[in-house]
Amino acid sequence: MRAIFKIALGIIAAIGGFLDIGDLVFTTQAGALFRYDLLWAVVLGVVGIAVYAEMSGRVAAVSGRPVFDVIRMRLGFGMGLVALVASTFVNLLTLAAELGGIAIVLELLFDAPYSMFVVTGAVALVGIVALLPFGGIERFFGYGGLLLLVVVATVYHQDPNWGDVAHGFVPTLDSSALYLYFVVGVFAAALMPYEVHFYSSGAIEEGWSEQNLKENRLNAIVGYGIGGILSVALVIASGYLFHPLGVEPNDLGTVALPMQGAFGETGLLLALGGMLFCVGGAAIDSSFAASYNLAQFLGWEWGRYQGPRRAPRFTASWLVFLLLGIAIAQSGINPVEITEYSVVFSVVALPLTYLPVLLIAGDRSFMADYANGRVATTLGWLYFGVIVVLAAAAIPLLLVTNAGGG
Amino acid sequence: MSGPREKTLRLRVLALLLPAALAFAPTGCGELSNDELNRGVESLSALAAQGQLVAGGVARDATKTTYARAMARTLGEEAQHEAEKLADATLEEPETADQRHAAVAVAGEIAGLLSELQTFPGDERHGALVQKHLAEAQEKADAIVAQLSGDAP
Amino acid sequence: MKGEGEIYVVHRLLDEQICDSEGRRVGRVDDVELRGDPPRVTALLVGEGLYPRRLPRRLARLVRRISGPERWGGNALRIPWEEVDELTSTVKLRKKAEDLGLGMGDDPERWMVRRLPWN
Repeated sequence: MRAIFKIALGIIAAIGGFLDIGDLVFTTQAGALFRYDLLWAVVLGVVGIAVYAEMSGRVAAVSGRPVFDVIRMRLGFGMGLVALVASTFVNLLTLAAELGGIAIVLELLFDAPYSMFVVTGAVALVGIVALLPFGGIERFFGYGGLLLLVVVATVYHQDPNWGDVAHGFVPTLDSSALYLYFVVGVFAAALMPYEVHFYSSGAIEEGWSEQNLKENRLNAIVGYGIGGILSVALVIASGYLFHPLGVEPNDLGTVALPMQGAFGETGLLLALGGMLFCVGGAAIDSSFAASYNLAQFLGWEWGRYQGPRRAPRFTASWLVFLLLGIAIAQSGINPVEITEYSVVFSVVALPLTYLPVLLIAGDRSFMADYANGRVATTLGWLYFGVIVVLAAAAIPLLLVTNAGGG
Repeated sequence: MSGPREKTLRLRVLALLLPAALAFAPTGCGELSNDELNRGVESLSALAAQGQLVAGGVARDATKTTYARAMARTLGEEAQHEAEKLADATLEEPETADQRHAAVAVAGEIAGLLSELQTFPGDERHGALVQKHLAEAQEKADAIVAQLSGDAP
Repeated sequence: MKGEGEIYVVHRLLDEQICDSEGRRVGRVDDVELRGDPPRVTALLVGEGLYPRRLPRRLARLVRRISGPERWGGNALRIPWEEVDELTSTVKLRKKAEDLGLGMGDDPERWMVRRLPWN
């Protein structure tokens, strides 16, 4: 029994904040607009990131190569540079959105202006990174993110029509552009690549080897499984409350309303607290992912464990990305809007960073006995197909639906 | 790297960059079609609905005042923005002038009610009143939508 | 047959992470020097000065603006093939980074010196 508990804690720590502002925004909007009809798309995205993360973790453990090492090796310098630029652009947007999200939640909890909270939040993040060990950082945000279990409690309290909910897990393709936009959005928000880039680099920071492969698989299945349950709960809670009322959730604070409705101020505080930890963890993950990718691609020394003395360029780039993120978050653009773009652009760039990992994970000359088996190969290529289709459809749908505004 | 694959990947990069520039380009404002007017009033109805949820929380003393205040401010700003947008635009179909006038009035009402909630986020009585009036405003907005749909060919 | 083997080695070497004898990461194989007939790998080439070589013409011009022209000993370094110890998931070198002029970008001395206002 203790062993299971220990494993569970390890998984929670490894995933470190299951949801980010993209998940919060898109699941809530999806529920409000389409009630339970997009639950299948959430599941599709969650399974997708589990597949991608498992492969990346396995590649890192067996070959010692993080994602952008694989990308430079497989795509070469030219296309690899394209992948790096696209990835950095998306990570910066994401980071800005998360920093903005932190500020919005703090604004909802305390009485002070947004711009002050952007800077305060960023400073707090730097402090946390500087003071806590790597594992401690992930534990901090992972456990804190569990506060969002109040959403699951809310769904239980709401007691929706479970038949309707079940129906939502069956994939249906409405022809409306808005519906399709949200299929892409919900999927893309679940499959944000920075999470996987962070995870694979973290595996190498922790010194993973073949012995960690079981842990890797558990992290992927259980860790993202928990994230999936939370995302599903958010869609249901939002759909139950907002859909019949015609509410359009365009603000981050709206995400917490169902929890306020079910459990009053306690529910509200738990929800806001959970959101704060999730978005905070995501800000750290996305900022590190940006630095990891840059350093790995160029061959610099990198790693949180190395510290600023041994990896000064890596550390400096991290601070620069943070400053750029703060600047964008302060620019006056609504973080929720930045989120819409970061999620959509992320899926457009996804094929470039997914394919090399898929190819290496299946390559016996790199992976020996640990190359993709039949299940991993099938799932891996299936998801590549899905990703390519969604990547092609993403921007046209963004334009046609005016970023989900209708 | 094989040629064709490089080419498709390059196309994908262009697909990322060009529409990105377009997406960030400012949208032209001014002309308001029947559909857009409809959309605007629907969003007013949605704002009123959400405002009722926030006000309801205040009324039941089941929320945090900072949250209620911040939400009321954000929603109020959106209502105000919608009011200005509807007031400034030129109508494609002049017959909808009455509906547009009514819509701007409702938007102003909603903004005013939310502003009150923003000022008194801890007052339960005020919360209950705002909730009631927002419900009335929402009904007015829904009525305008119905009129517009009836007018549509 | 021998030609294919050489191409494979180049392919295998290019873009690989380079580590020095102490395991420090000190850059990637940005280009490979081939000499002789049949061609043999005589050196690894490392540095931002080599990036423009790897890019299509227009992009190369832009990147050259940033990395500067090839300056051997500066932004372009030549690591003789004899310095390579082993080739696993990284290219491991026999010597420490400083002895070969590698990894100067991460040299802590450089960073601290830069921060002093009177330098």
